[in-house]
Amino acid sequence: MKATEGMFDESVVYVTKQGTQVRTDEGRIVVWDVDAADDEDPELATYPKEKLDTINVFGGVNFTTPFVAEANEHGIVLNYFTQNGKYRGSFVPEKNTIAEIRRAQYALDYTEELAIAKEMIAAKIRNQRTLLSRKGVHGTDVLKDLGKRARNVSNKDDLRGAEGEAAERYFDRLDETLVSGWTFEKRTKRPPEDHINSLLSLTYTFMKNESMSALRQYNLDPFLGVLHADRHGRPSLALDLEEEFRPIFCDAFVTRLINRGVFTHDDFSKDNHLSDDAFKTYLSKFDGFMQETLTHPHFEYEVSRRKAVRQQAILLRKAITGELTEYHALSFDR
Amino acid sequence: MTKASFRDELVHVSALQEYVYCPRRYYYQRYQDQIGTTYELVDGRSKHAAQSRRGGWTTERYFRSDSLGLHGKIDLIESDRGTLTPIERKRAESGDYYPSDEVQIAAYCMLLEDAIDEAVNVGYIYLYSTDERHAIHITGKHRSAVQTIIDRIRSMSINSIPSFTNNTNKCNGCSAREYCMPAETAQLEPERARGTGWEDHP
Repeated sequence: MKATEGMFDESVVYVTKQGTQVRTDEGRIVVWDVDAADDEDPELATYPKEKLDTINVFGGVNFTTPFVAEANEHGIVLNYFTQNGKYRGSFVPEKNTIAEIRRAQYALDYTEELAIAKEMIAAKIRNQRTLLSRKGVHGTDVLKDLGKRARNVSNKDDLRGAEGEAAERYFDRLDETLVSGWTFEKRTKRPPEDHINSLLSLTYTFMKNESMSALRQYNLDPFLGVLHADRHGRPSLALDLEEEFRPIFCDAFVTRLINRGVFTHDDFSKDNHLSDDAFKTYLSKFDGFMQETLTHPHFEYEVSRRKAVRQQAILLRKAITGELTEYHALSFDR
Repeated sequence: MTKASFRDELVHVSALQEYVYCPRRYYYQRYQDQIGTTYELVDGRSKHAAQSRRGGWTTERYFRSDSLGLHGKIDLIESDRGTLTPIERKRAESGDYYPSDEVQIAAYCMLLEDAIDEAVNVGYIYLYSTDERHAIHITGKHRSAVQTIIDRIRSMSINSIPSFTNNTNKCNGCSAREYCMPAETAQLEPERARGTGWEDHP
């Protein structure tokens, strides 16, 4: 089977250079360096607007008013981050709420939500096992059992219980996949207590953002979840969708960064943040990782990771609108 | 409620062609605003814009007919010794036009004759790729095809999604394919693709 033609891979742009301006020029989107010297080309990058759906900006980057109007017109979401990657908020184009899709999403009942959430968590646990096994860590039968348990629960609390237990077992073993000099004691957040937890948290944030972009592109409300509890300002559905990607994409990415020596402990500040330069490296590595292709485990054609995430948003939407009978999560058996 | 209000709406000529191409694609477009923008469409738009600057023709004229249940803008109308003939311009990379283009030009003829109260039995399809125009003689078959499609479109509802196309080749150039996922659906839930061209394309 041939992969469907796509524009997904270059559809997300990151702008990190401070003092730049994003503007339009003859129908194209241009990243302009306001501070460029006379002998430098101020045009840093240019994109056809039809190709983009998300622009992520970090820190001091501004948009011209005509550009924002174009972004609205063309359904381009603008996400704002601080210079070191903390999410600040978004500009969401108005065409991004198709009533019928939202209605179907809000009409999901507990049983339907649970059915979708079970698929997501079962896939997550499956992917945890797969990642460990790819790294040569064996003896993960307990995860296998937890995966079965996740499929058989009758309520969300039991599902969260199975998920939590699996996460604990899995992170216990993830340590074995790291090169010497790095240890993974346990998963900590708010704040991450060590460098590896800091990288994991950062990567989950970025993947959550990929999930948000994907959900928004297909008019699903990222703030109304199927498993994560709704809490003011929390993109619960994006977090739900992210679950299946965490082991196989996020954790795999972080272990790769460490094991290939992309970062050393010196790249982190005292509060476990990446230094400015290291953060730029991180961004380009992350984007490269999302554009990297793999053989899709179900469809068997080559897809980029970014496209795989977008496809899951489509499959989720189809499950919600009844175009498909169930949600088909992304799981890798090997 | 929504059903009734849709029934009252006129069908746009461009919808006929969309529907003939693929009812499912048309469904996505109509109810979900979910078709991508293909290069061909963007290119076609700019060509239209360039062409409509030339003088000497009646261009971009809007017509509506409550009795036909149809409305639309005729790209170009040529008047030759009192006879009015609608012209539809197509990019048509293949160098040929499609049955759906014939349906479209037939609909324009019907709209035009409703407006001028005179028979319009010929329309032209002009192809940019070959710089040729093809005269289409509008037959009774064309007319009843137009009416049938109008009726089908008016009776569509959001709750029943049309099946995948029988002609899987149509999916190759379709900008809705990424969302539609015919092959993927056939694989994930084969019963959903039963009886379509995708059934045997796992």
